[in-house]
Amino acid sequence: MFKNEEMEVNLGPQHPSTHGVLRVKLRLDGETITHCRPMIGYLHRGVEKICENQTFFQGQVWTDRMDYCSAVANNLGWAEANEKLFGITVPRRAQYIRTMLNEFNRLASHLIWLATHALDIGAMTVFLYAFREREDILDMNEAFCGSRLTTTAFRIGGLREDLPPGFEKLVTKFLAKFPSCLEEYENLLSENRIWKKRTVGVAKLSAEDAIALGVTGPVLRAAGVPYDIRKAFPYAAYAEMDFEVPTKTEADTYARYLVRMEEMRQSARIIQQCMDGMPEGPVMAKLPKILRAEVNEVYHATEAPKGEIGYYLVGEKGSGNPYRFHVRAPGFINLQALPKMAEGGLIADIVAAIGTLDIVLGEIDR
Amino acid sequence: MSDETLPQPSETPEAPAGPYVYDYAASPQRQIVLPKTVPLPSLVTYVAEVKAAAEADEAKWQKQQADFEVAKAKAEAEGKDAPKPPVRAVPRKDDNDLKTPWPQEAQDPDLLHLQDCLGGKVEEIFEQAGELTCQVSKESLLEALMLCRQDAELNYEMLADQTATHYPAATGFAFSVVYHLTSISRRKRLRLRILVPEGFAPESAVAVYPSANWMEREIYDMLGIRFVNHPDMTRILCPEDWEGHPLRKDYPVVGWGQRDISFREDRGGRLEMIAMQKAGQLGINLKQPKAE
Repeated sequence: MFKNEEMEVNLGPQHPSTHGVLRVKLRLDGETITHCRPMIGYLHRGVEKICENQTFFQGQVWTDRMDYCSAVANNLGWAEANEKLFGITVPRRAQYIRTMLNEFNRLASHLIWLATHALDIGAMTVFLYAFREREDILDMNEAFCGSRLTTTAFRIGGLREDLPPGFEKLVTKFLAKFPSCLEEYENLLSENRIWKKRTVGVAKLSAEDAIALGVTGPVLRAAGVPYDIRKAFPYAAYAEMDFEVPTKTEADTYARYLVRMEEMRQSARIIQQCMDGMPEGPVMAKLPKILRAEVNEVYHATEAPKGEIGYYLVGEKGSGNPYRFHVRAPGFINLQALPKMAEGGLIADIVAAIGTLDIVLGEIDR
Repeated sequence: MSDETLPQPSETPEAPAGPYVYDYAASPQRQIVLPKTVPLPSLVTYVAEVKAAAEADEAKWQKQQADFEVAKAKAEAEGKDAPKPPVRAVPRKDDNDLKTPWPQEAQDPDLLHLQDCLGGKVEEIFEQAGELTCQVSKESLLEALMLCRQDAELNYEMLADQTATHYPAATGFAFSVVYHLTSISRRKRLRLRILVPEGFAPESAVAVYPSANWMEREIYDMLGIRFVNHPDMTRILCPEDWEGHPLRKDYPVVGWGQRDISFREDRGGRLEMIAMQKAGQLGINLKQPKAE
């Protein structure tokens, strides 16, 4: 009557909790996962190949479409990698505006993470609240660059446009209400018994494993490693900002939740500092119309909301196209840790594990 | 590791095996234009280039002066006005904010330490754009990675990124494989680089850095470099039965069939020609200017 053998289950590729088209092959012993193998590639568009066949400027629109929840952060890494390749110094005002928009983007990305993660686990209400605040950030994106999601916010060498008039008011209004919004989310979740039951001690990943598997971002910091590229290798205007890198040592889903919530507070602090200390001046460096590279290779990493996003570019002498364009997508590397986190746990908890990694399949498959 | 399983894109004369097999090499109209240069950053190459350019410049100047002397003597003999003396050309200074980062002599203690420890296995060390690059011989890769991971002075804990580049124009190698190491405790980055020829299978880094697992699968999938002792050397992004390796430079960027020319090689306006033909079939005259 009862069968003792293991059962194979496919989670996805069309499962709502996989945040895109991720397929996870699971082998189950009862409800316990004994083997887990993520299968990716369903969204592979060949971004790297496309960018190698376009000019340096044209690659940006593809970076928007990798991690579409944090397009600005992708743009920033791309722009800075190109600037490193050509040796461009960006005006200070542009650096500040970039830093500010990047932090807004971190808020938007973390909010969408909070909303969907809570929804996966079963807390519906937070979804609606988080999307309410995210809407304001998208409105600001729209005010700045005309588009909400795929921003194409920056240019190599700075910005295309300065901040629009009245932007300051939007920011002040947002910053005034955001702390109370954060409290609202925390009231709903932090001490919620069901939320804690579903997250405390679930999907653990120790610091040693995380470093060995190359995991970066909040997942690494929740394991007690204070590695944040904004502090470790400062870029944009982060060297001039005063902020803290929150860490926790529990290394479970709940700790990652707390780390991300604290990161949102720090982001709001950075935005405030950017607004207060915004320098005057130009926003664009002097560049030729066509950028022609010399033989050079650069790897530039920045702290995206999901972890370290790195761009590896190789320039060919006299060519207007990158010879090699490679993206180190944080989600791609972080997803490697999923078997480590899920194996030995319950099948219901793999949803929490996928959610806590904060993956976007658009960037994993590129 | 047998070489039978290795894909050999340019030397497969057989016809496509089925309707879904993408044998781009057999396409009748396609002539893939491969890159002619090898943009591999290197201090040795850079120094040689600078020296050659300076010598050429000097030779040109000498010739200009000699020509002037001849012309002057000739003019004097004929009783004409002396010609203008030549002016040495000064390199034009562009009015922009570009400051190209050239390769520099290695100064960083990490690079010097690596060279001390590995000796002749290090092929080159240099710095460029503030980044440290160490090129080691392809056989001693694992040793170099072990050293970076375990040496107390180096202590690079994390392999942040690993990728490869295809250089079809190079002699002696076909790919460069780069390893971007990060030391979290020391806040440093290092790039290890090896050059591998076609068909060579380098040692997998998974034993030292488990994060190399998917990255090496991606390199195999995209560029066709197989890694020895990898636990799971399968394709990761493309389907298992995919033909070819998309990030090689001989892989076309457009589909099989009607759009058979890549934008890179469209020098003679063939894409425009095809567009004209298509428009003609549809009864649209693209050549005629729009009526105001």
